[in-house]
Formats: sequence, C-alpha cells, structure tokens
Amino acid sequence: MTLLGLAILSTRYYMVDLPVWHFLGGGEGPDPATLHLRGEFVESNLGAAQGPAGSLTMRMIAQQYVFVPQCIVVPAGVPVHFRITSADAVHLLSFLGTGYGLKAVPGAVTEATFTFDKSGDFKIPCHEFCGAGHYAMRGRLEVVPRDQFASLLPDERRTCGPR
Amino acid sequence: MGHVSQTTLLRITIPCFGTLALLFMALALFLSGSDSSAQPGNPGPAVRVPSNVAWTHETIAIASGGNAFRGLLIARRCNHCHGEEGFSSVPIIPNLAGEDQLSFWKQMQDFRSGKRISPVMQGVADRLSARDSADLAAYYSMLPTAGDPHDSRAFPQAMQDPSRARIAIRLIVFGDGQRGIPPCQSCHGPVAYVKGAPPIANQNGSYLLDQLEHFANGYRTNDINVRMRSIAGQLTEDEKMAVSEYYGAGLGPGVNPR
Repeated sequence: MTLLGLAILSTRYYMVDLPVWHFLGGGEGPDPATLHLRGEFVESNLGAAQGPAGSLTMRMIAQQYVFVPQCIVVPAGVPVHFRITSADAVHLLSFLGTGYGLKAVPGAVTEATFTFDKSGDFKIPCHEFCGAGHYAMRGRLEVVPRDQFASLLPDERRTCGPR
Repeated sequence: MGHVSQTTLLRITIPCFGTLALLFMALALFLSGSDSSAQPGNPGPAVRVPSNVAWTHETIAIASGGNAFRGLLIARRCNHCHGEEGFSSVPIIPNLAGEDQLSFWKQMQDFRSGKRISPVMQGVADRLSARDSADLAAYYSMLPTAGDPHDSRAFPQAMQDPSRARIAIRLIVFGDGQRGIPPCQSCHGPVAYVKGAPPIANQNGSYLLDQLEHFANGYRTNDINVRMRSIAGQLTEDEKMAVSEYYGAGLGPGVNPR
C-alpha cells in the first residue's frame, strides 16, 4: 500500500508540480525562446480572451522580472481559466489575499481555473526566487463586479496595464 | 406570352441579376466569416511579432561569433555619427563602445526588418548582412569605455537637476516593488544580465530618455514579450528624466571602464 502511494506520488515532480513524463517526452510545450514568434503566447494573444459561452481564458507570461500582462482584470464570481508559461526561469504567481497560486514553468503550460469571489485590487508577487529582480516582480489583479466587467471595452478587458 | 417586348424583358432580368449578385456576396461573406472562426486558436486580430529575433542556440552562435577585425573595417561607415571610438558627439545618438554583442545584433536585425523604426538606421542596416552585423558587434564590444580627453564625445553630461539623483538611485538599485518595476541593474547589469538587454552605464542620457519615452508611448515595440513596454509605461516623466540623466552623467553602476 505504501509502495503504491509512493508510486502515485512520484509521478509528479514536486519542484515544478508537473508530471514526470513531461521531462521524458521533451518539446511538447512552447519553446521559451520563441514565445513571441508563434503559438498562443504571442503578445497580441496575451491577457483575457473570451471564448464561446462566456468562458474566460487568461494567458500570461512570467519572465525576468515582469509578468505580462502586468495588470489583469477579471469579473467576480466567474471561473477564469489561466494558461501560464515562463520565458526563462520558474516563477510563481501568488494571488495575495485570494489563496490561489500558480507556478510558471519554462517549456510547459500551467493550467488552472480560479473563481475570485471578492472584488477589489490584489497583488500578484512572484513567490519563487527567480533572480536579482525577484523581489520587485509583481503583477496586479483587479476583480470587478460582473456588470462592470461587461461594460468594459474589449481592449480594456484584455489587460489593465500598459499595452 | 408570345408577345413580350424587349423593355419588359430587361425589367425582369435586371432585378434578377441584382438579387443573384446579392446572394453571391452574402454567401462569400458567410464563407469568409466561418473560415476565420473555424480555427480555435485564432486570436482574431493579426498576430503581432515584436521582433523576428529569438534567442535560440543558432541565433546566439551567429550573433556572438563575429570577426572583430572585419567589424573594424565596416565600422568606418558608422564613425561619422557614432564616433571613431564608439562615443558619439551628439547626445541623442547612442554610444556603441562596450556594447553587448547580442543586443547590438538584435537591434540591427530589427532595423533591417522594420521592427524598430528609425529612418536613418533602416537605410544603413539594409546594406549590412547578418554576418556584417555580427562582425560590427564583435568590434564594438571590444572598444574601451575609458574616457579620452582628445575625443569629442558628449558623454558624460552633468545632471540638469542633481536633486533627481535620489529617485534614480532608488529605481536603478531597488526598482519599485509596489508597482512591479524591477531595478534597472537586474537586467542591464552589473548585478545581472538578460539576453538582448544592453548595458547602459556608458550610454548618453538624451538617447536613453528618448527610448524610454518611445517604449512608453508605443513608438518602439521591438522588445521581446513586452518587457520594456510594461516597465517604461509605468514610469512617471520625472522618473524617466531622473534615470536617464543619472546614467547619462556616467554615475550609473557598471563594470569598471577598460
């Protein structure tokens, strides 16, 4: 029983929370060096994207030493699907005050669906030591009521930071 | 039915053609509409690529494998503006002495492809191949950055407002964690470097201020993954002035001049 448990536990590499076979397969995720050239993480595709049936997908890049987009806006009480990757080292987005966190791993897409119930401004500091500018690496999350989010322009919905 | 005048025929056929044409146009619109929405990963607006350069192993090998002697010969056509020793006499033109090879090569490629807009440099870079740029990069990276009294360089220039130095030091050394502005020295050296980020300790202040403003107002968009645009877009006018003047005065942290 213990052996079985260990076997199940060891299928995920604890440092980056990825299945072990991710490292054996090789090259299935986006190449960190060419994120800006092709694939879903080109700069015009970053930020919130509204899919069919009102689903919300948030694509972000973590890199030394900024998150892109640096400011994101989401509606309260709506599940937001995050797709995150890193351009260099391992970073961790820690959504302060909401209890959520998400690791950004170079060469892999980390996915999770979060629902933010409380509206307000939240900080997203990097919570994994990534280098010299780590302590100043910080994003911003704005959770707004649903009707306010619906009244935003498409460009304002994508990101609330510099474009 | 046997007797139908020609005008009546015309009156019937012209509306028929009109409806047919309308039908075809609607069909074409419908088809093109369904075509673009058929791809699930389609972001809608055109994909914007900031720069064609990506730091793959091959690109790094090309960019850093230049021949400095060949670069010296090519550099004779750059001397007029950028100075014979890599220090320009006009503060709005960048200094190239001690420039990082990768960042120099990337900017030349971006000038060639029009990803970075400069009416002057585009014409110059058009005539240089990727190998020429690598040779120039090797040459300029080896130029000494120590001062020369016989030279007409504009660098360094005293700060217009020395009281701004405190703002500059704070941003260069610590950044601003509350706004998510990383310290300058964590990418531009000497604390840490990022591929493609130039060292700016020997750069002209007016040029730096220009670039910060261009990043902030979206005129310059060739930074990979929106890195400098996110940072410069958050700086206030005062902070931009402070940082660029501080670096332009030769006070910024950097490696010791050779």
